[in-house]
Order: sequence, then C-alpha cells, then structure tokens
Amino acid sequence: MEDFERELSDALVRRPAPPSLKQGLMKRRRRSTPRPSSFFFAWKGLAASMAAVSLCILAALAVYGGIARRQAEERRQGEAARQQVLTALRITGHALNQMNTQLAAHGRTHE
Amino acid sequence: MAHDWQADFEQLVDEHQSMVFSLALRMTGDRGLAEEIAQDVFLELDRHLSKIESAAHACFWLRRVTMSRSADALRRRRVRGLDLWVEMEDRHGSHEELPASPLGARIEQLLATLPEAQRAALVLRYQEDLTPEEIAATLQAPVATVKSHLQRGLKLLRAKAMNHLKEYVRVKEQVSGV
Repeated sequence: MEDFERELSDALVRRPAPPSLKQGLMKRRRRSTPRPSSFFFAWKGLAASMAAVSLCILAALAVYGGIARRQAEERRQGEAARQQVLTALRITGHALNQMNTQLAAHGRTHE
Repeated sequence: MAHDWQADFEQLVDEHQSMVFSLALRMTGDRGLAEEIAQDVFLELDRHLSKIESAAHACFWLRRVTMSRSADALRRRRVRGLDLWVEMEDRHGSHEELPASPLGARIEQLLATLPEAQRAALVLRYQEDLTPEEIAATLQAPVATVKSHLQRGLKLLRAKAMNHLKEYVRVKEQVSGV
C-alpha cells in the first residue's frame, strides 16, 4: 500500500456515533413496536367480533331449527289426519259391504 | 439452513452504529442526516432481524442498506437543488471531530468533492477495508466497474491532494518571506 493510501486509511477511520443516535433510535423503536396494552385491546376486539359472529350463527341456527321443528310437526299432524281419513274410509267401506250383504240376503229371502 | 446465531438488536446497534454513522456521514456530509439515515437503517434491520443468519450477514446487510439509503438521500437532495457538501463547506468551513493529522483532515474534505460512485468505492475500500469483490457485492455493481471507480477516484483524490499540498507550501513560503 502506498503512503497516500495509508494516509487515506488513517483519515477514514470510523467516527464514533453521537449518543443521540441510539437514544433516538430506541425512542423511535418503542413508538413503532405495538405496546402490550394495545396488543391486548386488539385481541379483545377480535374476541368481541368473534363472539358477535358466533351469536349471529347461533341465532340463525335457532331460527332454522324452529322452522324445521314446526314443519316436522305439521308433517306429523298431516300424516295423522291422513291416517284418520283412511281409517274412516275403511270403516265406511266395511259398513257398506255389510249393508250390501244384508240387502242381498234379504232379497233372497223374499224370492 | 440451521444456524445457532441469535440476533440481539441492541448488541448489533452497539457494535455497528459507528460504522453505519461513518458511512452515512462520509456519503452525505451532513451529521444530522447521517444520524437519521443510521436510525432508519437500524429500524429496518429490526424489521428484518428474523432473516439475518449470522454476525457477518448483519454487517454486510447494514453496509449495503446504509449505502443504498445514503444514495437515496443524496438523490432526494439533488432533486431539491441542494448540494450538501457545498452547503456544509459554506456553513462551517471545517468538520467537527476531524482526524488528528491535518493532511488526513484535508484528504477527508477532498474526498467529499469526488463523484458519488467513486466516493462510495473509496469509503468502502479505505474505511471498511473491503476488497473490490466485497465492494461490488455491497454496492450491487460489477467488479470491473468498482475497480474502475477505485482507480479513478484514487487518482483524482491524489491530484487534488497534490494541488492542496503545493498551495500549502506556497502560502507557507509567502508567510516566511514576509
């Protein structure tokens, strides 16, 4: 290395950083890093949102469940009514058959 | 790749603040701006700390980002029509905390008058003691370009220093003659 280059190396030694550099840096770092309290509040907000969404889903399920239950009840009642009508028709048919048999027996007696 | 090195932000600041500040100062010539650039660089390091793999990687990363941020700052100042070094010379005439040797102090001032690319190469070569290959990696430039900047910068700086020395001798002779 030449004398001039040696002189240049000596001239370009690292300068000590001013103390305000690290102080300012740490201050800016604290400002840019989210504090635990705000972190907690962020989670609290998220939890509240999730609870609200869950409540909405539960309400929707309850409404849907009510409707389904009512429809099932209506279906059950309809089926019972159908069974009753069928029973009535069977009884009526049976009665009519008996009446026809009796009429036929009565006709044969007269002849 | 697995690595045992654990990055400690405050320790990295303590170890490298002098390097980062000196690089920014010699590139911009403004102590306030150099301090601001150094803080920005360390805050960026803090955000990228998980990607830093070793102490050497941290040092390389800091040099690269400092040179890049200093170039950005100079570009912004140029757009605003300010020449920082001229402004500094006009305002203060001399720098604070100059090196012990008067010639060394003058060399540092003359370095500030070199074109930005040559100054960057010389600062990394003679402040950080990097090889042309390492400078090329830091500045993300071809090695041949870096070598050219080093040669031209050194030649220009030597010529400026010789002129300064001749002027110094002439003034001294005049003073002795009186």
